[in-house]
Amino acid sequence: MVSNLTRRYRRGGKTINAVDDVSFTIEPGETLALAGPSGSGKSTIARLVLRLIEPDAGGIEFEGNDFLALGSAALRAQRARLQMVFQDPLAAFNPRATVARVLDDPLRIHGIASRAERPRRVAALLERVGLSADLAPRAIHEISGGQRQRVAIARAIATKPSLIVLDEAVSALDVSVRGQILELLLDLQRQERIAYLFISHDLGVVRAVAHRVILLDAGRIAESGDARDVIDAPQSAIGKALVAAAPRLNRTRSLGRP
Amino acid sequence: MNPLRRFLRTPEAVAGVVLLGALIAMALIAPLLFPGDPQAIAGPALLPPFNDWSLPLGTDRLGRDVLAELFHGARTSLAVGLAAAAAALAIGSVVGTLAGFAGGLVDEVLMRITDAFQTVPSFLLALAFVSVVGPSLGVVVAAIALGTWTGPARIARAEVLSIRERDYVASARAIGMHPLEIAFREVLPNALPPVLAMSSVIVAAAILTEAALSFLGLGDPNRVTWGGMIAEGRAVLRTAPFLSIVPGIALVLTVLGVYLTGEGIVETTAVRRGLS
Ligand SMILES: Nc1ncnc2c1ncn2[C@@H]1O[C@H](COP(=O)(O)OP(=O)(O)O)[C@@H](O)[C@H]1O
Ligand SMILES: [Mg+2]
Repeated sequence: MVSNLTRRYRRGGKTINAVDDVSFTIEPGETLALAGPSGSGKSTIARLVLRLIEPDAGGIEFEGNDFLALGSAALRAQRARLQMVFQDPLAAFNPRATVARVLDDPLRIHGIASRAERPRRVAALLERVGLSADLAPRAIHEISGGQRQRVAIARAIATKPSLIVLDEAVSALDVSVRGQILELLLDLQRQERIAYLFISHDLGVVRAVAHRVILLDAGRIAESGDARDVIDAPQSAIGKALVAAAPRLNRTRSLGRP
Repeated sequence: MNPLRRFLRTPEAVAGVVLLGALIAMALIAPLLFPGDPQAIAGPALLPPFNDWSLPLGTDRLGRDVLAELFHGARTSLAVGLAAAAAALAIGSVVGTLAGFAGGLVDEVLMRITDAFQTVPSFLLALAFVSVVGPSLGVVVAAIALGTWTGPARIARAEVLSIRERDYVASARAIGMHPLEIAFREVLPNALPPVLAMSSVIVAAAILTEAALSFLGLGDPNRVTWGGMIAEGRAVLRTAPFLSIVPGIALVLTVLGVYLTGEGIVETTAVRRGLS
């Protein structure tokens, strides 16, 4: 649960409110989408929710605790429950890393499996996201973009989180790969009841995967509600503009949403 | 084209490798070719070069074999140069990484210390350090490292400042990795290439500094050094100039070899990066 979150940046003497008084709640197993034009504060909210940056005002409650009050050690431990997948799957990994190391790190850091057991866990994670376990020894830069994003998802689910923040996680992928990754995310959600904070500027994708949507405009919430209702009949000016700018909206396949 | 082939196509780089290879060979075979103490008397004093084939480069004022001294001096130069440069690069990368990654007060304090070290000319710093602590190989290495770590520290810090904003650092934080592990395992290795690109210049400077310290009588007295040989020869510069010229030429060729090899490596890797 996020309440009245605000984050300001100063640039050239001017102060801009990148995120301005934003509040929302995400239920277990739910997908909440954040949509809005570039620069509307989506990534800033993602970083705030993960406490990669600190807010100037507002509160975050996560699994019943005051998330902002956690000290550094408690925060590191709590991070197991709250994961992130980035837009650019190449930039999200240490350029020197191998697939095995990337997946081994969270298991080691959170003491999820013993050293002897971890290679088997890594193989199981790879299979869980539809990759071959033979990929483990490969360098991250040797595998394809779609495989990399699957590895990023495997890393995110390694610690059994209850919430994953997906910041434009499918935006950099080819259309065909994008569909497969979305299917994988929905499958994981059904099986593990993971909640997603799904950030995207693509309303077609949002309509296909999200339960609810928040439309952002210049750091403020312009409109929110059931994803289909909002996208089919936007009330706000920014909503209408976004829908008008997404011509293929109606042709996007609905992905397993009732 | 593979990098090695490209490297070997650059004439300067090849010259550098040949010079450096000769130096390393000299350093390695010195104890085999000239077993005994190179500072022991081997023949009559001030024997000119090319007169006696058992003493090809002649002898110095005390009758020591110049060629044996030259070979053993290569050992000292190389050992001190590499050790001091390695120490300077290690200290510099660690300080630069901590400063850049931690930011805030830690950065402020570490960079003021770096400034302080950089304000004092590195040779004076080394001179003062050796004068106070006393000359030995380890002290000379430490003294040289003390004056040269600031350059690598600044470069490492600048690189870390850009790396720490990358997504993979955010990813490491998001999985709960400890900040020190992030700094030294995720950030530092990726900040190293531009720091290592400086190493040839640092090794060359360290070799010269060691020679200068030895020239002033502040080298390890138990070891032959080229700087010490030049200082020795100075007393008889008019009658036996070769005593100073021979180690002087060795020094120049070594520094040139190290520098050209380093440039060649930087050039080759830069080209490779540019192509990919
Ligand atoms: N580190 C930063 N320093 C200064 N301004 C920033 C920084 N990060 C984001 N901003 C500004 O905050 C606003 C929101 O950015 P962002 O959250 O990245 O938007 P989005 O992800 O929706 O495109 C933009 O105006 C951006 O320029
Ligand atoms: Mg963004």
